[in-house]
Amino acid sequence: MNNLLTAPVERQAANGASLIQLPCGLLGFERVKNYILLTRPAEEPFLRLQMVEEPKRSFLVVPPHFVIADYRPDLSELDVAFLELEDPSEAIVLNIVTIRAGAQPTVNLKGPIVVNRRTLIGKQVIPINAAEYAIRHPLALS
Amino acid sequence: MLILSRKPGESIVIDGRITVKIMRLEGDVVRVGIEAPQSVPVHRQEVYDEIQKNNQEALNQTLGQLPRLTAKAEPSAPRTARSSIPHARP
Repeated sequence: MNNLLTAPVERQAANGASLIQLPCGLLGFERVKNYILLTRPAEEPFLRLQMVEEPKRSFLVVPPHFVIADYRPDLSELDVAFLELEDPSEAIVLNIVTIRAGAQPTVNLKGPIVVNRRTLIGKQVIPINAAEYAIRHPLALS
Repeated sequence: MLILSRKPGESIVIDGRITVKIMRLEGDVVRVGIEAPQSVPVHRQEVYDEIQKNNQEALNQTLGQLPRLTAKAEPSAPRTARSSIPHARP
């Protein structure tokens, strides 16, 4: 697993899961604030963001460098302050994957989930340069 | 729906903590300034609707259909304005 994800995962390495708090929730799921980030070797590089209170509900996410070569979401000052990012390297970026029947999987590059690896608090942000990125970016298979 | 008339420079306060101010009128465009606590998400409605819809579609993807992926680049950090990083100033 790439080094962007090892830090939080190491904290609970025994079961490959990290507790992530999203105080604002995900858009459309504002009331759900507690998630478990699951890593399963068979699913790498994908991860699962699973609701703590409803373990049957989860989102498939992927680190963006597996999707495109140059992804630089520009975080707003408010989001940087909210996430208490003291350095950009503290940020873990994950993008939600959608698989639709009979269609190419897509990745949401417009609304990434950014997690502070030090506090494990995250937020689905809309970057300042969100207009540069697609909400349904086709996932090129390799 | 509560409908209020406001002039440029006038504001509306919501819940005692969110201020919506009419900045100015530019033709058929209204410039609106919003002050809200950091924990209150503020988005344009369209972006919000799009991402919300995509999130709902993305819930509970079935396993077994996962495509194989290889890294396209080294992991990179998001951009954060240096001046905006707390404690970054000497």
